[in-house]
Amino acid sequence: MVEKRLTKREGVSTILDIRVQELEVWYGPAKALENVSLHLEQGAVLALIGPSGCGKSTFLRVLNRMIDQVPTVRVKGSVHIGAFNVLDDDIDVTALRRTVGMVFQQPNPFPMTIFDNVAYGPRLAGVRSATKLRQIVEDSLKKSALWDEVRGKLRRSAMTLSGGQQQRLCMARALAVHPHVLLLDEPTASLDPVSTAKIEELIVQFKGRYTMVIVTHNLQQAARVSDLVAFFEQGHLVEMGPTHDIFTAPQERRTEEFLTGRFE
Amino acid sequence: MRADRWAQGIFQAAFGLFIAVWTVFLAVIAVGAWHFVVINGWITPLLSTHWSPLAGHYGMLAFILGSITVTALALILAAPWVLALAVAGGRILRGTMQQTFIQLLTVFVAVPSVIYGWWGLTIIVPLVRRLSGTSGFGPLSAGVVLALMIVPTFSIMALHAVRQVPSALVEGSLALGATDDQTLWHMVLPSAWPALAQAFLVAVGRALGETIAVQMVIGGQSRLTSLLKPSATLTSQLLTDLALMPPKTPGHDALDFMAIWLVLLMAVLVGLQYRMRRGLRG
Repeated sequence: MVEKRLTKREGVSTILDIRVQELEVWYGPAKALENVSLHLEQGAVLALIGPSGCGKSTFLRVLNRMIDQVPTVRVKGSVHIGAFNVLDDDIDVTALRRTVGMVFQQPNPFPMTIFDNVAYGPRLAGVRSATKLRQIVEDSLKKSALWDEVRGKLRRSAMTLSGGQQQRLCMARALAVHPHVLLLDEPTASLDPVSTAKIEELIVQFKGRYTMVIVTHNLQQAARVSDLVAFFEQGHLVEMGPTHDIFTAPQERRTEEFLTGRFE
Repeated sequence: MRADRWAQGIFQAAFGLFIAVWTVFLAVIAVGAWHFVVINGWITPLLSTHWSPLAGHYGMLAFILGSITVTALALILAAPWVLALAVAGGRILRGTMQQTFIQLLTVFVAVPSVIYGWWGLTIIVPLVRRLSGTSGFGPLSAGVVLALMIVPTFSIMALHAVRQVPSALVEGSLALGATDDQTLWHMVLPSAWPALAQAFLVAVGRALGETIAVQMVIGGQSRLTSLLKPSATLTSQLLTDLALMPPKTPGHDALDFMAIWLVLLMAVLVGLQYRMRRGLRG
């Protein structure tokens, strides 16, 4: 039943763009995002850049309602991802989060085997068949370019992997529930350059297959992997445009100052 | 330099005093216990239920079974409630409510056990009497009183076990589309499991060692025939017979023997806890 729903959803991947209108977020009395509107075509990669505390992670966490974890949060505006009305109180958050996967800043492998990490999502979604699970795990690990390094070691604890491998495992885990959107919250912030390059390769490979939003402090990374860049500052979306244009000819003075390091 | 040496000396003396006091303490009961073992053996007294120390019968089986029964009863009654309280306090309550709850638990941890016993005498014993038609004194009442007594200690430890599960794991689970319930059962509780087991062992120790609260409601008879008939535990019997048997009498030696077993048992429990803590880190 659930398996069928998963496969059916794969078939309707034509409408998973992201539309945000007049989004506002408060943490208690503090406003974290103000009047943010943007549209992201499906299959595109959007990089969110901006100084620390500018609201980019908040924006990301609205998209899969992970923001609900903050007790004092209030969110206004409208966010649509495909057919999901994200901010609707009655939305099936579980289905939303399976469609909109997330990879975190610190690799957070679960304290279980490599296999169980990847199988975690599908199992909870109701996949029971061992053959089916094995296949999902293998596919996901292949997609995240980890398969060759862990085949034959799937019963080992995920904690035995290196940081970079752990992050690719987290990628595989997110892919295992067949998402259409991937949210990446500074996915390489804690990784060495080689591991970072591997993650970036994956993002480039995934273009067109997944709609991706990546928060990054690394401007070169934004330039390398994204199609579009959005610059946030103090809760405002200052400017958004094609990556090439933003990096070569930003329209806003603040963006230019940030990109050229003259930012206070 | 001189002051340093003085200070170091004081710290070392404190440690030396600790070793000395506890060695003497153990030696005193060990000597009594040894006298007892020489005459009665190690195992025989543990297998007999005939306890009349003035007549030379030292069967302790009834007390051992009494201790086990009362402790098991208390843990069976307390554990599910404690688990629910830990989840409530660790995952569901937030902010002021959570803080208040933890403070309340801490207060109840500090309530002296005689109060729990007193409360058992006023409420539990009459209730059991009314429901069963017996005197109301016995292992059942003792188990209920003990359960209520260990709930605060056990809950605080279990609550911290639940709270220390990294939010990265919780968020990781939720981000995969797990519901709150699924996250609780498949991520939070398995991750908290070693610490929960440690809390459980502390609760076992507390229940097994408790004396006054048990003695007040168990009835104080040296036998174990029913959950509803007066009986005794190792600790409660020690307390009762202490007054009857002066030092250097065979009966007193029998109590030393009981005390040694209790100390050994606690040592085993603490040892298990250490192993668990090592497991937690590993």
